[in-house]
Amino acid sequence: MSDAQLRTPFPERAHSALNDAHLQEALTIATTKFIGLRKEAFAGYPDGEALRDRARAIKESTLQGLDTHLERLADNIERLGGHVHWAATGDEARDIILRLCRDRGVRMAVKSKSMATEEIELNEALEAAGVKPVETDLGEYIIQLAHEKPSHIIAPAIHKTKGQVADLFSKELGGRFEADPEVLTAVARKELRQKFLEADMGITGANFAVAETGTIVLVTNEGNGRMVTSLPRIHVAVMGMEKVIPTMTDLMVFLAILARSATGQKLSSYTTLVRGPRQPGEVEGPEELHLILMDNGRTRQIAGTLREALYCLRCGACLNVCPVYRQIGGHAYGYTYPGPIGILLTAMLKGTGSVKDLAHASSLCGACKDVCPVRIDIPRMLIELREHIDRERVAPWAERMVFGLARRAMASPSLFRLGAKIGRVAQVPFVRDGRLRGLPLLFGKWTRTRDLPPVAARSFSERWKELERP
Amino acid sequence: MTTRAEFLGSIKREMAKTRGLFDARPVPRPPHAGEAFEAVKRQMAERWPQALERFREEFERIAGVFHRVGSMDEVPGVIRRIAEERQARSVLSWHPAPLGLDLRESLGREGFAVTVAPHGAPDVAARQLHRDEAARAEIGVTGVNWALAETGTLVLVSGQGRPRSTSLLPATHVAVFDRSCLLESLEQVGIVLEALHADPARSMSGAVINFITGPSRTADIELTLTRGVHGPKEVHAIFVEGR
Amino acid sequence: MKASIMITCLGDLLFPEVGVAMVRLLRRLGVSVDFPRGQTCCGMPLFNSGYHHDAALVAARTAKLFEHADHVVVPSGSCAWMVKTEYPGLLKDDPALKARAEALAKKTYELSQFLVKVLGVTSIDSAFKGRVTYHDSCHLLRGLGESRSPRTLLRSVKGCELVELPGSDECCGFGGSFSVRLPEVSTAILDKKLANVESTGADCLVACDAGCLMQMGGGLSRRGSRVRAVHLAQVLEPEGGA
Repeated sequence: MSDAQLRTPFPERAHSALNDAHLQEALTIATTKFIGLRKEAFAGYPDGEALRDRARAIKESTLQGLDTHLERLADNIERLGGHVHWAATGDEARDIILRLCRDRGVRMAVKSKSMATEEIELNEALEAAGVKPVETDLGEYIIQLAHEKPSHIIAPAIHKTKGQVADLFSKELGGRFEADPEVLTAVARKELRQKFLEADMGITGANFAVAETGTIVLVTNEGNGRMVTSLPRIHVAVMGMEKVIPTMTDLMVFLAILARSATGQKLSSYTTLVRGPRQPGEVEGPEELHLILMDNGRTRQIAGTLREALYCLRCGACLNVCPVYRQIGGHAYGYTYPGPIGILLTAMLKGTGSVKDLAHASSLCGACKDVCPVRIDIPRMLIELREHIDRERVAPWAERMVFGLARRAMASPSLFRLGAKIGRVAQVPFVRDGRLRGLPLLFGKWTRTRDLPPVAARSFSERWKELERP
Repeated sequence: MTTRAEFLGSIKREMAKTRGLFDARPVPRPPHAGEAFEAVKRQMAERWPQALERFREEFERIAGVFHRVGSMDEVPGVIRRIAEERQARSVLSWHPAPLGLDLRESLGREGFAVTVAPHGAPDVAARQLHRDEAARAEIGVTGVNWALAETGTLVLVSGQGRPRSTSLLPATHVAVFDRSCLLESLEQVGIVLEALHADPARSMSGAVINFITGPSRTADIELTLTRGVHGPKEVHAIFVEGR
Repeated sequence: MKASIMITCLGDLLFPEVGVAMVRLLRRLGVSVDFPRGQTCCGMPLFNSGYHHDAALVAARTAKLFEHADHVVVPSGSCAWMVKTEYPGLLKDDPALKARAEALAKKTYELSQFLVKVLGVTSIDSAFKGRVTYHDSCHLLRGLGESRSPRTLLRSVKGCELVELPGSDECCGFGGSFSVRLPEVSTAILDKKLANVESTGADCLVACDAGCLMQMGGGLSRRGSRVRAVHLAQVLEPEGGA
C-alpha cells in the first residue's frame, strides 16, 4: 500500500471496500469456501486437536531455545555448503539480496510466494537495481501484473474475479483470453515456464527450517516452489527467524495441520525439503544456496506482548473466519499482513503506533483463536495492544471523555442512576414507535443504521422493590 | 552488516528477560532413530497390503491414477498405454540403476523418444542437455522412496541418476513403486527421515526430498481448482507386486 | 438454592423486562433470588478498549458487591465471561482481591448454564408459542464453551419450534465499542446475520446476550422486520416481561 493510500484513514479504506461490489462477492465466495474446507478437514481428523496442542507446545519450546536452534540450523547449512546471512532489519535483508545479484550478475529472478519478501518490499528494490523479479505463484503473478499487493496471506489474488483476471491478462500479455480459470492457468503456465528455465536466481521464503538437519521446507501447490529451487543457479531463501523448528519429527506435526488449516488439504501438492545446494553427482540444482535469517522486529517480541504471534504459521485460517476481514478484504488493512494476525504482525514490524486504528478493527469475537492451528490468543493480544495504545498515545479527546464518564459511572451507583435519569429526559425527542432514532453525536453512529431501545422508564433496580416480595 | 554473534546476541538478551515466565515443556521425539526405523520396517513388512489399499484410496482421492502390475516387465506396457492415450512420444526417466528399469530397451525400440538421466558427475554440457530433455519430455518416469498411505503421497529423494525435474517438468509423471516403499502415517515418515538424516552421507546423494501429493494445482482464481499449473497435470503410480 | 442477580448495565437500563422474566423463572424453579444493590457494570467496555487500570477498579468493586452470594446469575454471556475469565487476571497484583475475584468467578453463571448445569433443569413449561431461531453469542459460545444449554431449553418448550440459524456461530457485529468505532463495518456484518435470520422464517430471534440483542434487534426494527429479537428468559417466562 502506498503512503498516500495509508494517509487515507482506515474507516475510509473500509468504506471503499464495503462499497466495492466485485470485492464483496469475491470475499464472500472465497472465505465461505475456505471455512467449509477447513471444517471438513478437521471434522474427519480426530487427531487434529491433540496435534494443534502439540504444535503450539513445539513453538513455545522452540522460542525457549531459539538461539540454540538457530545456531544449529546455521552450522548445518554451512556444513552442507550453503551460506547463512543474518539480517537484523528488512533493509539489510534487501541489501544482502541486491549485493548477491550484483556480484553474481543476476538479471532475472523467479520468485515463489513469500510473505517475508512482501514484508521487505523486495520486488521494488530489485527492479530499481535493474533485476527483473518474476512472481511465479499464479496469485502473485496476477497481482504483479496488476501492480497490486496481495490481499490474503495464501491466496493473494482472491479479491479478483475471473473476469478481472482475463481482462488483466489480455491487457498485459496481449491477446484475448476467456474468463475461464483453466484457460487462464494454462496461459500462466506457458508464460512462466520459459522464465523458470532462464532465470539466474530463485527466491523463496520458507515455511519451516529444521535445525537438526539444516533443511529448508517449502509448502506449495503449484510446483513453482520446486522449479525455483532446482533450475536457477542460485537459490535465496528469506525466512523470519521464528520459523526454525528443532527436528524432523516436529516437522511432521506441523505438516499434519498446516495444509488442513489453510486449504483443507491433508497435505499440499508439494512439500519440498531442501538441504543445501546441489550435491556432487546431481545433474540439477543450484550451485549456491543462501538462507537469509531475518529479525525485522521479531526479536523484540520474545519478551514482548506479542510473543505468541511468533508462533504463526502464516496459514490464513484466521482471515477466513474474521467477520471484519470477510467484509473489507486484505487491502483495506493497508499493510503486508491483513486480518487478525496481520494486525499483530504489523504492530510487531512497524510499532504499536501503526495499529492505532487497526487494533480496534475487531469485534473480539474469538473466531480467529478458534481456528488457529497453534491456538494463538489473538483477541487477548488485541486488547493488550489497545492498552498500549492508550498508554503510549493520547486517544482523541472525545474518546477519553466518553471513557472517563463511563469509568466514573461504573464506580458510582448514584452517578450511574443520574446518567439514566438524564438519558430518559434527553431521549424524548428521538423516540419513535418505542425506539430511538436519529440520535446526535456519538450515538448517531449507531442510529444511522440501527434503532436503539430507549432507556426504560423504570430500570430493573427501580423495579426491584416490587419484585422483592414474590 | 549484522554478524551471527550480534544477531544471536540480541535474541539471547531478550530471552534472558523471560526466564521462568513460561512453562518449559520439551516435546517428545524418538530416542533411537535407528531402532524406531527398524520397528517401522518390521511393521510394514506385515501391514503393507492394508497400507497399499489405503494408499490407493487416498491417491485416487487427490486425482492420482493407480495401476497395479505383477512384475517390472509389465511396466513399459503401462507407460506405453499412458503415452498413447495422451499422444505423447517423448519420455524422460531416471537412470536405470535407481529405477530398476531401462525404458530405452522397451519403449525406445517402439518409436518413443526415450532419454534417461545421467549417472556420475555431470559436466556443464551434460547438465544443459538434461535440462533441454526435461523441458521437452511429455512423460517423466521415476521411482519412489516411500509411498505414504495416510495422504496418498509419493516421497522422492533426489540424487545421482534421480533428478528433481523428472517428476516436475513433464506434463505427466509416472512413479513406479513396490511394497517396500509403503508407509502408513506421517509419523512413520518422521521416523524414517530422522534415520535417513542420521547418516546422510551414506543415505542421500541429493539435496532435495519432495513429498508429492497429487498433481500440481491452484485455486488462486476465484477458488476454482485447476491442475497442472507449473508441475504435472497428472500423476500415475504403478505398483509392482513381484519386486 | 439461592441466587443473586447480576443484572448488567444494559439489562438494568434497557432490558429490565429480561431481568423480571429471569426473577420469575428462577422463583418458579424453587430458587430464592436476591439483588445486591449498587450494581453498575461489569467493566467489560473499559477492559476491551484497553483501560485495564479502570477495569480493575470496577472488578474489585463488583467482587465486593457479590461477596456473600451463593450463586451469581447473569442474563448475559459476555458479562459472565468477563467475571469468570478476566476478573482474576485484572486483580492479580493484590492477593486478597484476586482471591475474592476467583471466588466470584467460580460461582458466576450465565442464565442458561445455571439452569441446565447447576439446577439440572432441561425442560421448562412455558406458554410461549412460535418458531424461533437461536444466535450463538461469541463470548458465550467461545468464551464459556456453551452452545447446547440454550438449545436444550428452547427445544423443551412445547409450543416452541427451534430452527437452526445458518451461520449461528458468526458474530453479529456488536463487539461493544466496535459498533460505533466502525459503524459501517459493524452494520455490514449485521446485515449478513439478519439475512440469515430472515431466511429461517422464524418469528423470534433468541440470544443470551444484551449486546447482541441490542445490535440485532436494532437492525431488525430498522428494516421493519416482523422478526422480534428476544432474550432466552422471555421465551421461558413470557408473562414475566411486562
